Amino acid sequence: MTLLRVENLAVSYGAIKALHGINLTIEEGEIVSLLGANGAGKSTTLRAISRMLPLQGGDIFYRDQSVKNIPAHQLVAMGIGHVPEGRGIFPNLTVQENLALAAWTQKNKQRLAASYEKVFALFPRLEERRPQLGGTLSGGEQQMLAVGRALMTDCRLMLLDEPSMGLSPLLVKEVFRALQAINAQGMTILLVEQNAHMALKIAHRGYVLENGRMVLEGPATELAKDPRVKEAYLGGATT
Amino acid sequence: MDTIIQQLFNAAQLGAVYALIALGYSMVYGIIRLINFAHGDIFMLGGFIGLLLTTRFGWMPFYLLLPLAMLLTALVGVTIERVAYRRLRNAQRMSVVITTLGVGIFLENLVRLTVGPETRQIPAGLPSAPVVWLQQHLGAFVTWDKLLIILISLALMAILWLVVNRTLIGTAMRAVADNKDAVPLMGVNLNLVIAVTFAIGSALAAAGGIFYGQAYSIDPYMGIDLGWKAFIAAVIGGIGSIEGAVLGSFLLAGVEVITVAYLSSNLKNGIAFGLLILLLLVWPWGIMGKPTLKKV
Repeated sequence: MTLLRVENLAVSYGAIKALHGINLTIEEGEIVSLLGANGAGKSTTLRAISRMLPLQGGDIFYRDQSVKNIPAHQLVAMGIGHVPEGRGIFPNLTVQENLALAAWTQKNKQRLAASYEKVFALFPRLEERRPQLGGTLSGGEQQMLAVGRALMTDCRLMLLDEPSMGLSPLLVKEVFRALQAINAQGMTILLVEQNAHMALKIAHRGYVLENGRMVLEGPATELAKDPRVKEAYLGGATT
Repeated sequence: MDTIIQQLFNAAQLGAVYALIALGYSMVYGIIRLINFAHGDIFMLGGFIGLLLTTRFGWMPFYLLLPLAMLLTALVGVTIERVAYRRLRNAQRMSVVITTLGVGIFLENLVRLTVGPETRQIPAGLPSAPVVWLQQHLGAFVTWDKLLIILISLALMAILWLVVNRTLIGTAMRAVADNKDAVPLMGVNLNLVIAVTFAIGSALAAAGGIFYGQAYSIDPYMGIDLGWKAFIAAVIGGIGSIEGAVLGSFLLAGVEVITVAYLSSNLKNGIAFGLLILLLLVWPWGIMGKPTLKKV
């Protein structure tokens, strides 16, 4: 089943066009990577999908329903979770409060308890740090908290914006392993990354954005072999 | 000795009223960085709503009248935010400041036109007999209404502290203060959180207005002077901080009452504002305020 379908999506910042009508689909259960250079429009795409930016054209369908006119907070209740660029944690709230707030739309007590269990099973470190302020966590722990919060929203589709940003290679591996585990439990993931190597390794399919236009798409294994992708995003080692 | 204790109670009563106003300034600034200069006039309006309720529904006991006036004033506060401030949330700061001043002038004139410009007193809803125990043991003449005003105000502040620090809506309010952009991503309606903050701030100011109208008097322009004083108290304490707003209010009231009692009432404002300047030289962020670094 197609979980998300983006049709002809266009976004502008004032006079500057950031997205020139892009298309993208995500099937239920997939990990899809969205690659591209700095300023290609990757974060803009995510922010437009989660309705944090006004659309200039096109439409977004979540489970075949247009979400163009739905405010961002209601989209969360519908099942779209967004881990924003720079993690967006609340530094003066405790880890516990960060997680509790993300469960705002969850009214069912049993599901809520299950969500906490899920998060702490995946990131035992967060359970240890429950009473600590979010701002005192290390970069890696903050990223875990950001992903944990998205899980607490009980989403079906998780949008992730550069989860590897500012993390050591070891922590990047840990975060990506967690994403694979979440996906194995049924979560559909749209992953924006500059670390194309890691992103294509865990993804099923991928898209490549260039200056606000979709220039390539295909299965991740094929994209990883594509000379253009290698040249631009995988360190230029052409074979 | 006895007069010092009496002065302390006077200071506590005035400080409680300042605090009830200052909390609204501080909470709204804390979450959306907006200084609501109409807030002093919300305090005034709360007093007049209390006055109208007392004169129209004289049978109503004070413990019903107070929450009812708080509720009505909260509705006014929420309406003002919805109609006048919300669309300016991403506007230039100057436009917002002018709008809040305009709303304040509107409220002053609305009350002056409908109720009249006279100074009035809210009929006592609380017993005004002296507290015998204090008279016998400390030799201080303190009336029950004064003591109750202080105690009810402290109770309201305690409830506010619990709401902000121990409930999910309070967590949401602190989250808006921390990182407004990430709040909708938690599924939380940002407009709802901001509306609740205005409602709480306006309700507390209404309580302050009613207490002030019972202890002293009310008139359509009282929100200007007292609003500024409460604003100063919030800044001294560290604007954005709840504890700071309370601390700053009692500190300012203490300084004012002592100045009037032992120096001269003419010096009251000079010393209050002088204190503000001095304190801000030492603590630019206020006593409890945190230095905020702007992200570039």
